[in-house]
Amino acid sequence: MIWNVMIFCGILTFATRFVMLSEVAPRELPRWMYDAMGFVPIAVLTAILVPNVLIMPEEGVTVSGNLRLPSAIVALSVAILTRSVMATIIIGIATLFCLDWFVF
Amino acid sequence: MLNQTQSIPLSAGQEFWRGVRQELPLMLGVVPFGMVFGVLGLASGLTALQTVLLSLIVFGGASQVVFVQLWATGVPPAVVGTSVSVVNLRHVLYSASIAQYFRTLPLVWRIPLAYLLTDEAYAVTITRLRNEEKSLYQHYHLLGTGITLWLCWQISTIIGVLFGATLPQSWPLDFVIPLTFIALVAPAIRQRADLVACISAAVISIVAQPLPWKSWIIVAAVGGIVAGYMTKFLTTNEVIK
Repeated sequence: MIWNVMIFCGILTFATRFVMLSEVAPRELPRWMYDAMGFVPIAVLTAILVPNVLIMPEEGVTVSGNLRLPSAIVALSVAILTRSVMATIIIGIATLFCLDWFVF
Repeated sequence: MLNQTQSIPLSAGQEFWRGVRQELPLMLGVVPFGMVFGVLGLASGLTALQTVLLSLIVFGGASQVVFVQLWATGVPPAVVGTSVSVVNLRHVLYSASIAQYFRTLPLVWRIPLAYLLTDEAYAVTITRLRNEEKSLYQHYHLLGTGITLWLCWQISTIIGVLFGATLPQSWPLDFVIPLTFIALVAPAIRQRADLVACISAAVISIVAQPLPWKSWIIVAAVGGIVAGYMTKFLTTNEVIK
């Protein structure tokens, strides 16, 4: 099953990269499409990341006692300040480790 | 008066190696990301082979992370496919923007160039295409940037898989996924409309949780895009008035 989905996603990804290079594609994309597509990465990544941080399996939305939340906020500050993927990941995961260690 | 200096057009080899050289500095960000993906693939329950082949088949950082995250949480295949496609929509823009330069190439060129069209390769090659003189071999530049990124991505995924296998299972490595996304989203927020798109997607992703087939992902993504677009549309109209 996973192989089918992987290949399917591979074909879809290739298609998005190839579509405008094909003979059938229109020469120009409409303006609104450019504008709307600019929001795609922000919207999709946020939609996946927020529940990942806020929702605990079995428990639903959890704020108090959810150590991922403060860790994510620290990581967000690092991301805004440094704009570095590596620094954000390392400091974010280190914060989670430290909180885990202090709390339990 | 001569105001034009006669420049010698670059050869295929020169275009290719200039692409490679200009792409290399970006590998500072790509290699760690590839390694993170390798670790993440294993942490999300994929086998080493599946993780490495996902890099080969999909060859797109954010899409691969979305894939493993959704696959690991039992999201139905159709929703995984749709979400990966939505993440990939930006490639249509890249493809559109290089089309004027490469559309007349034969298919044997357009297919590999499309496969190699990633954020980082596009960014470097489009600068060359726009700012420098046209040449007969300018597609070799994209081949150079694309292959550089491709090699680094495959090798760093393999390193990540080897390294990930040595890390203790109890570590909360899956937390790397939201962290990666935070690192990608935060610098992308440059205007009010971006912030509106982000906050709308965040709110909808929580409120829409009860929807069937985990379709909240798609509903929240589309909601965020529409909210951002509307905001941009409304604010631009204000400026014109």
